[in-house]
Amino acid sequence: MESVGYHILGGIVTIIVAFTVGLTYMGLSRKITARIQNRKGPPFYQNFIDALKLASKESAIHHGFMQHSGPAFLMVSAILSVLVIPVLNNGNWFPNLNFHGDLIFLIYIMVFGSLGMALGSGQTGNPNSAIGVTRGLSQMVGFEIPWVMALVAIMVKYQTTSLVDLLEVQQTGGWLMFSSPFAFIAGVLAMLGMFRYSPFDIVSAPTELASGPVSENGGKYLFTMMSSGSIFAFAKLVLYVDLFLGGASNLIELLAKTFAIYMIPMLYGVVSPRYRTEQAIQYFWGWPLFFGFLALVHALVF
Amino acid sequence: MREKATTLYIGPQHPGITGNMMVRVKVEGDTIVKATTEVGYLHRAFEKLQEKRNWLQSFTLMCRFCVPETDPMEELYARAVEAIEGREVPERAKYIRVMVLELARLASFMLWYGGQNGSLGLYTMGQWSVGDRNYILDLFEELTGGRVYHMYIWPGGVRRDLPKGFEKRVLKTMDYLEKRLDDYDDLMFDNAIFKKRTQGVGIVDKDKAIEHGVVGAVLRGCGIKSDIRIDEPYEVYDKLDFIVPTQEGADIWARALVRRQEARQSIRIIRQVIDMMPGGPVYNKIPNPQKWRLPKGDAYVRVESVRGEVGLYAVSDGGLKPRRIHVRGAAYVHAITLLEDVLVGENIADVSAIMNSLGTCPPEIER
Repeated sequence: MESVGYHILGGIVTIIVAFTVGLTYMGLSRKITARIQNRKGPPFYQNFIDALKLASKESAIHHGFMQHSGPAFLMVSAILSVLVIPVLNNGNWFPNLNFHGDLIFLIYIMVFGSLGMALGSGQTGNPNSAIGVTRGLSQMVGFEIPWVMALVAIMVKYQTTSLVDLLEVQQTGGWLMFSSPFAFIAGVLAMLGMFRYSPFDIVSAPTELASGPVSENGGKYLFTMMSSGSIFAFAKLVLYVDLFLGGASNLIELLAKTFAIYMIPMLYGVVSPRYRTEQAIQYFWGWPLFFGFLALVHALVF
Repeated sequence: MREKATTLYIGPQHPGITGNMMVRVKVEGDTIVKATTEVGYLHRAFEKLQEKRNWLQSFTLMCRFCVPETDPMEELYARAVEAIEGREVPERAKYIRVMVLELARLASFMLWYGGQNGSLGLYTMGQWSVGDRNYILDLFEELTGGRVYHMYIWPGGVRRDLPKGFEKRVLKTMDYLEKRLDDYDDLMFDNAIFKKRTQGVGIVDKDKAIEHGVVGAVLRGCGIKSDIRIDEPYEVYDKLDFIVPTQEGADIWARALVRRQEARQSIRIIRQVIDMMPGGPVYNKIPNPQKWRLPKGDAYVRVESVRGEVGLYAVSDGGLKPRRIHVRGAAYVHAITLLEDVLVGENIADVSAIMNSLGTCPPEIER
């Protein structure tokens, strides 16, 4: 049995890797977006420079305890998520804290940060923040249903709530994206909403809400949000790879698979205008929900 | 049960606003129940300043009225002065003026492509179109020395003749832009989400258009065929073959379709003008500006800009300076009275898209 220290060390390394990979992916997405837009774009490490700058700034505006806690909730949610998800499937690196039932835990913990952020933004008193929060929670209602249906379909089909078990299933039976295609499609379509790239960037929508929930935040608050965003992005990507792409046995495989998944919302966002809130919900309750139902039927019948 | 209304301030510093103005909206949920426009953040008193400057000095202020499309304002002033003075303009200068005006229209369309799509979150289009606009600005820089403010179309003709080989470079740029407009169509007009966001939004029907005195693409977008270049041709527009597109939808989508066709028509006009351009002088020289007196009289002239019809009323009392200059800009109606009317009942997410669609240009409002 591995020692507690081994687990703690693994957890710290996981968080550092998640932070680094997440920010790098964001930087690469800025670069790729720029190239599509006929621009040179910033260097891929620009986000690290931005993060450092934000971390070094003093925050002059305080609206109270909840506003202070909002970004912290986000960070807690991101770190807990990434610690529960097995990063590599050979068990030697990044063992982390995964356990039987971790999928159900993830369903809850992945929305915890957004709810905390909603409370924090609500206290700022800025109407743009409040509207942004309402939009975010509404959109979450939209994509969470097909997302949870996809997860439930997988849990029912393979009779497990453990990501480690699902990884083992895929070692022998092939990737779930082929054996549970409807769940994969529903999951990917729901993922578009989770990453909040256009057309689902309705929460921050600059031309509509002047950045929405983050509009009263600066300096260290923004740094915390940026860091938790990068860690959370990594967590979501690894979760998709673990769920549908058979996990990864080494870092290079992990990076290749996660980057490929990351490109889906990013590239779709480059060529898409933004939905309105009700249009976004209608979208998620359309084809994604349909595929979610199909996934459930497929899991129950086959 | 009636929802509690919240007041939102869109502007004067807001990513969704089209310039230095503000729209105060009262919303219930996401629906606007009242909109109030506020201007006054950019007042430069150009019209008053012109009364203190001689006729040539006044001309240099004209291009500052509306930054996105500066040349129609120069054209207005030049024609008003020429009308009061009875000054003839050489034929070649008229063709060059039309070429410059249509290049300015194209450049302004490029900005509109960016603004309209940026307001809806499709930033790629803005990067493309504003990048491509630079090729037109390069031409302006070569021709006039300035990229945005040209001060080129002045009373008596144009400031200088075309540089050697300029026509070829214009035609080459037109070929490139025509291809790029196809790319824009793929990204914008063939985009299901863009259609979803713009169809049935920001309706300005015929009755409302007439009631408010709407002009330009907003008028043509509700099916009324009106264009000063056809209705009251100036320079050499009566010798050119082009169409004035109209649409019936009366929404953002319809106005976008009108502008899409108009951009192609501008390319068509530029090609014709270069093909038909005669030789000869480009400038009927004015007297020493310090001693240049216009006869007593007044003139009202109109020009078609991308935002629509813009008019200028100039009065001379026989002195060295204008007695009165007054601009009737398209944006004044569109961004103040019409906008307040159109926004009621719309979603707050659509405010910026509607403003861009109506061609609101705050600098033109505050003169």
